[in-house]
Amino acid sequence: MVMIPLLGTVLLSAQNKQILYDFYEIPQALMVNPGAKAQEKWHVGLPALSGISVQAGASGVSVNDLFANDGIDFNVKVRERVINALSERDDFSSTSQIELFNLGFRGKNRREDYYSFGMYTETDVIVYWPKDLAILAFEGNGGANIGRSFDLGHLNLRGEMVNVFHFGVNRKVNQELTLGLRAKLYSGVFQFKSTNNSGRFRTVPGQENTLENSIDADMQLQTAGVDGFLDIIDADTGNTSSEIQDLFTRRLFLGGNLGLGFDAGFTYQLNPQTTVTGSILDVGFIYNSKDIRNFTLRGSASNEGINVFLPEDIDNLGVDLWQELVDEIEAAVPFEENGQGYISFRPIKIYGSIRYDFGEGSSKTSRIDCGCAINVARGNSGSYYRNSIGGQMFLLKRPLGIQPALTGFYQRRLGKSLSIKTTYTVDKYSFSNVGLGINLQAGPVNFYILGDNLLSYQNIADSRYASLQFGFNIISWNGN
Amino acid sequence: MRTTSSLCFAILFCLFFFPSCSEEQDFDQFDDLSITPAIASSIFSVEASEDFINSVSTLSAFYTQTFVFEAFNEQFVAERLLEGNITYDFENSTSKPINIIIEFLDEGGNVLDFESFDIAAGPGEMVSRTVDYGPNGKPLFLLTNTANLRLTGRNLGDNTSVSTEPEAKFIMKSAAEFLFQLVE
Repeated sequence: MVMIPLLGTVLLSAQNKQILYDFYEIPQALMVNPGAKAQEKWHVGLPALSGISVQAGASGVSVNDLFANDGIDFNVKVRERVINALSERDDFSSTSQIELFNLGFRGKNRREDYYSFGMYTETDVIVYWPKDLAILAFEGNGGANIGRSFDLGHLNLRGEMVNVFHFGVNRKVNQELTLGLRAKLYSGVFQFKSTNNSGRFRTVPGQENTLENSIDADMQLQTAGVDGFLDIIDADTGNTSSEIQDLFTRRLFLGGNLGLGFDAGFTYQLNPQTTVTGSILDVGFIYNSKDIRNFTLRGSASNEGINVFLPEDIDNLGVDLWQELVDEIEAAVPFEENGQGYISFRPIKIYGSIRYDFGEGSSKTSRIDCGCAINVARGNSGSYYRNSIGGQMFLLKRPLGIQPALTGFYQRRLGKSLSIKTTYTVDKYSFSNVGLGINLQAGPVNFYILGDNLLSYQNIADSRYASLQFGFNIISWNGN
Repeated sequence: MRTTSSLCFAILFCLFFFPSCSEEQDFDQFDDLSITPAIASSIFSVEASEDFINSVSTLSAFYTQTFVFEAFNEQFVAERLLEGNITYDFENSTSKPINIIIEFLDEGGNVLDFESFDIAAGPGEMVSRTVDYGPNGKPLFLLTNTANLRLTGRNLGDNTSVSTEPEAKFIMKSAAEFLFQLVE
């Protein structure tokens, strides 16, 4: 069980989209800041191809650390690089997002408003390294571990797949300020979480016998939507694939557990060349009431084996002493199931940035002929600056606290058709994360591709973080 | 301008389209993974007061008890048991020597193995005996086929003498520590 996260190492991640953030030439920038500078008259994302992102990261170990063909015994590598090296705060995580459609248009009557809506499917899983449980599994409670207290609270994991229907309004309040708000309706496919566990297990020299094993547990695993899929697989009717597909589709389109949320953001121009932005995403929840199966392990017990005191117990002894002992422990620390609904909160994300534009273009560039002219400020818009430099901050609410990331970036606009953004990001996954984003505009056709941690491509298996986003859009700035 | 654009395109080309590399990986190594935790637990203990031992005729055992003990013959455990030991600790502060016999019985009640310990009259130091199982000890099947344990305690002395120790008693403790092959 403890090796399962390792198998997922290749798929690990955070949710930071630092290259896309404030890359306002790309319509999908509105998805990470609904208050970004929307410039288009309208845009249409190519269905299922307008926004695809896959991110993966592991904070403590890479595929190469374990599976490099280096002649070192695999068990030694696991022991030295995983069991003895990872802490309970190291995680394995993965996030993917597929935009099924994304549309936007400027209001006819309110030209300062840009409306966007769409639907995307997001899968997000994070598993923290269950350090003490892993040590217990690998080494046991005997030998040098007698006296050690194993923290059961090291079990922390969370995962979900949701389909998100969203509608956002982006309003240019004045020349300096743009605000945005996006409402979200979540349709859950599945969800599971085991967080806020506590307790301990330990083996110490006993009073009545040689050793005393004691457990004090308050643990819970909540699942929603998982059992339905497992039931289909178990039933194995010969039609498993289509049954899973049907259930999956039903869940995607509001047939599962539902929830609500919102995003909010702003862009504020401090002066013609300096802009600050901020956004908060996925402030929301899903109420899980369907297809619930929860597991709990709660209670306290200690045992020193079968203890017979003579003469007190001479008449109380049966042949099933061992089974009675086992039953006693199971009664004291019952492993139980229930179907109680629960609320799961979405992982909240916060972005902030400051950008300085410089290098005024010699000719009026991309958006001067925009039919809307909304974000062209007094003929001196930031769009006319070829270069931007700045810093970004990202905060993500995770089961064990806030996960931060800091990014420095440089953006260069080359004529009407090309814009590139390079980033350097520091977070728990990497101190050498250099990313690059390209936005290409060929007439109304827009294509973007954003790649992260490019230096790790020299040995991709040694990377602890990787992400890729790309998409196609049709964009109009005027009547065409 | 053209030069700048060309340079940028060259960089982009290198970064995005340059084939990424990877050291050779051998995922079959996962098959070599071996997880062998050492599990430790007490098994049973007996504490008998000297008064109680004296109350029983020396011709018969002051204590005999058979109880179901299937900790090792559960299929999951039996298939994964590698090696280990059982440690017996004895403390005797009574005035008489004590003999303890632990018999390992199969499901039919047949004796597979036994351990016999003679503990000198007390007071004395704690006596500890370790019995190894596995490649360097007794065969594991003795444990994996054990369904019951029979514990017998005999007074090898008289039943009238009284120790000068306060609250004189005979104590036997036992614990096992075994390696299991969870993953191979």
